[in-house]
Amino acid sequence: MSRAAEVPERIVRGIQWGMAAGFVCFIGGIIVWIIHLIRTAWRLGDIPSASIGISLVAIPVFLTLLSVGFYVFWGLLTDRSER
Amino acid sequence: MADRADNRDAVLLAPIERTGAGFYWAVGGLALLILWGAAAYSTQFTSGLGVTGLHQPVSWGFYVTNFVFFIGISHAGTLISAILRLSKAEWRRPVTRMAEVITVMVLFIGASQILIDLGRPDRLLNILRYGRYQSPLLWDATSISAYLTASIVYLYIPMIPDIAILRDRLDRRKLLYSVLAMGWRGTARQQTVLNRAIAIMAVLVIPIAVSVHSVVSFVFSMTLQPMWHSTIFGPYFVVGAIFSGIAALIVAMIIFRAAYGLHAYLKPIHFRYLGQLLLVMAALWFYFTFAEYLTGYYGSEPEEMKVFWSKFTGRFWPFFWAMVLTNFLIPVLCLVRLGRRTIGKVLIASLSVIVGMWLERFIIVVPTLSNPRLPFGEGLYWPTWVEWGETAGSFALFALFYLLFTKLFPVISIWEIREGREVGLKEVEERLLTYLPDPAELGPAESSAAEVT
Amino acid sequence: MARWGMVIDLDRCTGCQGCVIACKAENNVPAVGAKEAVRGRIISWMQVLTEVEDHDQSGEKMRFVPRPCLQCDDPPCTKVCPVYATYRNPEGIVAQIYARCIGCRFCMAACPYNAKYFNWYRYQKEGPGQNPDVSVRPKGVVEKCTFCHHRLQRARDRALAERRELAPGDYVPACAEVCPARAITFGDLNDPGSEVSRLAHSPRAFRLQEELGTKPKVIYLAEGEGRG
Repeated sequence: MSRAAEVPERIVRGIQWGMAAGFVCFIGGIIVWIIHLIRTAWRLGDIPSASIGISLVAIPVFLTLLSVGFYVFWGLLTDRSER
Repeated sequence: MADRADNRDAVLLAPIERTGAGFYWAVGGLALLILWGAAAYSTQFTSGLGVTGLHQPVSWGFYVTNFVFFIGISHAGTLISAILRLSKAEWRRPVTRMAEVITVMVLFIGASQILIDLGRPDRLLNILRYGRYQSPLLWDATSISAYLTASIVYLYIPMIPDIAILRDRLDRRKLLYSVLAMGWRGTARQQTVLNRAIAIMAVLVIPIAVSVHSVVSFVFSMTLQPMWHSTIFGPYFVVGAIFSGIAALIVAMIIFRAAYGLHAYLKPIHFRYLGQLLLVMAALWFYFTFAEYLTGYYGSEPEEMKVFWSKFTGRFWPFFWAMVLTNFLIPVLCLVRLGRRTIGKVLIASLSVIVGMWLERFIIVVPTLSNPRLPFGEGLYWPTWVEWGETAGSFALFALFYLLFTKLFPVISIWEIREGREVGLKEVEERLLTYLPDPAELGPAESSAAEVT
Repeated sequence: MARWGMVIDLDRCTGCQGCVIACKAENNVPAVGAKEAVRGRIISWMQVLTEVEDHDQSGEKMRFVPRPCLQCDDPPCTKVCPVYATYRNPEGIVAQIYARCIGCRFCMAACPYNAKYFNWYRYQKEGPGQNPDVSVRPKGVVEKCTFCHHRLQRARDRALAERRELAPGDYVPACAEVCPARAITFGDLNDPGSEVSRLAHSPRAFRLQEELGTKPKVIYLAEGEGRG
């Protein structure tokens, strides 16, 4: 149980922020993709109703996942209170 | 922190701290199967799908069967973890982590089955550029992405306190554990955040999971083909998924119980409860299957009957009746009396169900394609070594991912076990008290009755 | 706007398979070889099905049913394509974009007529002796009858160059052109004066698996008095 090889706090925080940013980009990318598919359906004259219908469910689900992820990230990392 | 001094759960950390010869043997065996699969796929990638046994009319075979099967197994995590968490069942504590890991790992394998099935995997980006939401395959893509993301989040968040234990206890992989532990120190506020997030995810992940296997079923039921175009497919596939998921979970639990010496944590009572759940799912699966075939048979539509008889007495009868045997008869016989030899019976039942559910997927996919509506000959599907290799490699890859996970993170949730010891008993007692009738005004008859009880 | 359709008179069809050969020659359909044929991978955009009717007192009756892609007006195949690789164009032809197809074979599973075929290997390269108007398909994509759409483009180009309208008879697919019994009639179903329109309303007219609601534009004329 030695604490000899502690990893510098800065590096750890940096990677964690990187992970959070990556998660935001990932979910953001999915949402952008879904919107792109709606626009493609519109442009190609296909019925966009399927795209719009699904996006009405899918986008809130992904946003909820993003919010939960961020809630945990924020709640855990910014907690400065003692046990 | 209590966990530093608490060595009661040392056995849960042992696989992470030490690696025995058994691990290397296991990895070696799995690697051979994966190599077979890799060789199979590289043959297919260079030459084309012609190296499989697929043809016209049976243009979907093992790969699509595997796809449905693996996605089905992913329902293990959701049912056990989310539903048991929401119903506050205390016996879930040693089980949830294993279930959640199954879900995450098997989703990768399952989703890749469709990629393996593509004739032009190099054009995969076309799904991103030109995806059509009218197609059930896009519903699949969206739904499985949502489920994979949700499962990873739902696996990771309850892992955080355990990763903190590893961060504090171990010298190796300090960076990994420090980063992933998200600064966990066990403070009250952090605990609240964690519990709230887990509760939200438990509620969110259930409808996503139901949607996943429903849209997988829609790939078949949205066509006009006989015995595919059935309204029962959505719930049928979900039930089958939960069924196969529980079976896979039981097998994983038994394997790691033996391999890592977890007998103190995974006790016969856990297998008894899971076995009872498996029995209920077997009955439910049988009910759906019976309803499906009875409806087809009673209506006697010629096209449907062609496929029906093909399954019952025709070319596919060995697979169909093997499915009934392994999915219903053997599990029910094993699981009705779980008093003695619980773990043995449950293991046999689970292995049987895994085989049976794979056969069920096969029986759904191939006979319908084999019996086209127009007067072509009946399709004769013979899988080649490529398809067998790909199947073996996929199972082995899933097992390898799982095994590697258990080497990095505890396979049983340490903090939840401790929570069970420290607060679980009290919480349950308090809850039970709220069930009992209130000690309000009792008439003379009731008060003497109350004294008797 | 035209709506291209076809009428096949089953009373005239002799089962000679001239349409099959003409289609293969016209559209660079690869010969997959004997080994692949045994494995069930023949690609035959136009295929002659043989239906044997149930026995009755007068014995077996056989009918030959040439089956191209039925070019449905409500195609089950286009509904399920994930990448717009198969779609119904405004003139009613169900088109196939080989360059976009990812080979998922969902359209093959969905077609109730099994009119779609897959390139399980790279069956041919580009070479001499092929029809230059028709692209040679790579491996891993789905293909099917297109009512010789390239001939429509050629006919339109020619009509444009000769500064005239497209005349009926300018555009016929290879199968209709070649049939020695003249069983296949092709034309614009939206043109009330065309032969195809007239035949489509014949009392002998029927569509394959009409009850599925696919609205196929290949209409068959049932055998008449001659069958007894």
